[in-house]
Amino acid sequence: MSDGTVTEAIAVSGADAGRRKRGPRNWRPLLLLVPAFVIVTLFFLAPLIDVFIRSITDPQPGVQNYVWLVSTPANLNVVLRTFGTAILVTIVCLLLAYPYAYLMTIVSDRTRNLMQLFIMMPLWTSILVRTLAWMVLLQDTGPINGLIAAWFGIGPIPLIRTTFGVALGMSQVLLPFMVLPLYSSMAKIDKRLLPAASNLGANPVTAFFTVYLPLSKPGIFSGGVTVFILGLGFYIIPALLGSSKEIMISALIQQQISVFLMWGQGTALGIFLLVCTILILVVVSRLNRGGSLFPGVNR
Amino acid sequence: MAHLRDTKTRRGVTLVAGSAALALALVGCSGGGGSEEPAPERDLGTPVAGQIKEGSLDGVTLTFAGSGGVFQDGQTEALWNPFAEASGAKFNQDAFDAGKLKAMVDSGNVSWDIVNTTQFDTARGCGTLYEKYDYSQIDTSKIPEGTITDECMVPQILYGLVVVYNTDKFGDNPPTSAADFFDTKKFPGKRTVSQSTYVDPQTVEFALTAQGKDVKNLKPEDIEGAFDMYRNLGDDVIGWTTGAQAQQQLEAGEAVMGLVWSGRGYGAANAGAPVAPMWDQWMIMVDSNGIPKGVKDKQAAFAAVNYSIGAEQQAKMTELTSYGGVNVDAKPQMDELLSQWMTTEHLDTGIAPNVDFWVKNYDALSAAWAGWATGN
Repeated sequence: MSDGTVTEAIAVSGADAGRRKRGPRNWRPLLLLVPAFVIVTLFFLAPLIDVFIRSITDPQPGVQNYVWLVSTPANLNVVLRTFGTAILVTIVCLLLAYPYAYLMTIVSDRTRNLMQLFIMMPLWTSILVRTLAWMVLLQDTGPINGLIAAWFGIGPIPLIRTTFGVALGMSQVLLPFMVLPLYSSMAKIDKRLLPAASNLGANPVTAFFTVYLPLSKPGIFSGGVTVFILGLGFYIIPALLGSSKEIMISALIQQQISVFLMWGQGTALGIFLLVCTILILVVVSRLNRGGSLFPGVNR
Repeated sequence: MAHLRDTKTRRGVTLVAGSAALALALVGCSGGGGSEEPAPERDLGTPVAGQIKEGSLDGVTLTFAGSGGVFQDGQTEALWNPFAEASGAKFNQDAFDAGKLKAMVDSGNVSWDIVNTTQFDTARGCGTLYEKYDYSQIDTSKIPEGTITDECMVPQILYGLVVVYNTDKFGDNPPTSAADFFDTKKFPGKRTVSQSTYVDPQTVEFALTAQGKDVKNLKPEDIEGAFDMYRNLGDDVIGWTTGAQAQQQLEAGEAVMGLVWSGRGYGAANAGAPVAPMWDQWMIMVDSNGIPKGVKDKQAAFAAVNYSIGAEQQAKMTELTSYGGVNVDAKPQMDELLSQWMTTEHLDTGIAPNVDFWVKNYDALSAAWAGWATGN
């Protein structure tokens, strides 16, 4: 770890030195940014500013939409529920992905490619098709409850229209976003460190928690943040696998925009979600000092 | 270092300014399409529902935004394609979203000519989001009485929010009133009711009917009480968030009773589920043909709507979609099952919505509905 940090530090200062040497006049590389910058400005920044302006001017100038947002208990419930569900999904994904990603680092190249294929496969299937399949599996009269009834003589156990059902459906969709960063960070860990730790008297559990887990932290953070933030915006899965008690904030926004046509309130909800997300990113990046939050990007 | 940072910042400012200028230029270009010449006024003669002068709309392009699925496919086949063929107009299909419509109208760039929306939407947005109809261009003589509920609509379909019950459970002793829906002693089992993000005020009116209230005489303070009635069903109430889900719950037997759209009840029955409709107290629903405000060729849109409400067209639409038509002369060929579910056969026991009340009290309704639909 320390070795890597030192090397990186040297590399970084080296790059800095190089940049300094070239001096301030070398601006041409910045032109590479222009296409991305124009697209982001036109199609993200400008609409975002428009959304913000709407939230404080529709139907009349003022903060009434934000007052409505925080003074309506139903809104706050849905916001809390949204964050709760996203956290739950992040934890489920982490627990499922960690052993899987670890296995990917110790198997043969062929098996690893196969495992990668398996983890990518859900991404190539329509989210609607997968969710409908879950509906069939999880319903009270579905095959899972059928098996439970046949084997244990109980049931039906409520699976669909529960937080569990929603978390299951969401985790399946989001799992690749956890596995891939975890794998890329684990692949960099020197495998000899674990035998070295046990050589120095650590039992496997201690070796894992004091050596391996901390080294895989960058992967946990970047995977966790990706899954969490993607999870916040889910719409169709909570609607189909959940009941009204699992509806998340995106459904609330859709309702204000497309049904009630109260765009001020809808945009206020959107800005609120964005600000919360940015705050969480800031907090997490503070916790993960020195690491990167974005899969594959090293500082 | 400070020097470096300064130049960097300045460069950033230049980039931002440049991009902003580009953005403005592009927006300016796209906004320039509004100054088209107005559509010509043609002589289409006295309107007769279901008729259009041959080739009178050559070169015109119209777009219908509907609610998709089998329903819109059936409308396209029964109404819009025949109209296009007869009039010479070209007809496009799109998916309706009220938010998108508002965006179009606000930006003055309306690309839909006729939309399928609820009667509450056209009433609420009449004059702001929807054009007022010139009823001298529409033959409304065959439209069922009382179904034109505001000046910005011509009815499109007539359906309903109907109690659908499981005949295996209650076949011998079926429910016969709105109050029976809430009577879990006499009719044990789970009920399903709309918790969709889309608002059906009829869901509220149904509960108030069960309380013995008159829909024609509602008070704003009644609204929460209606939702409380559903909440008080406790574990015996499950919600549906989409029509497909309502149908699935009835088919799978998850719900022994449901307050669902008539078309979804028919869908379940057609799939073999043991369900039947309760016609004793059902809530009439009408969808509007809305004309977006600022539409390019009003006369052509009116002509298309006028054509679509012909007896023959409506009969064919009912056959293809199972939804009730809005022409009293329409005689669709129905099998026994479909006629059992046909709302237009039971208008005498249907309860019409109090549209004015809901337009006036929309804020209270939407606030209460938002709470109900999010499980609060």
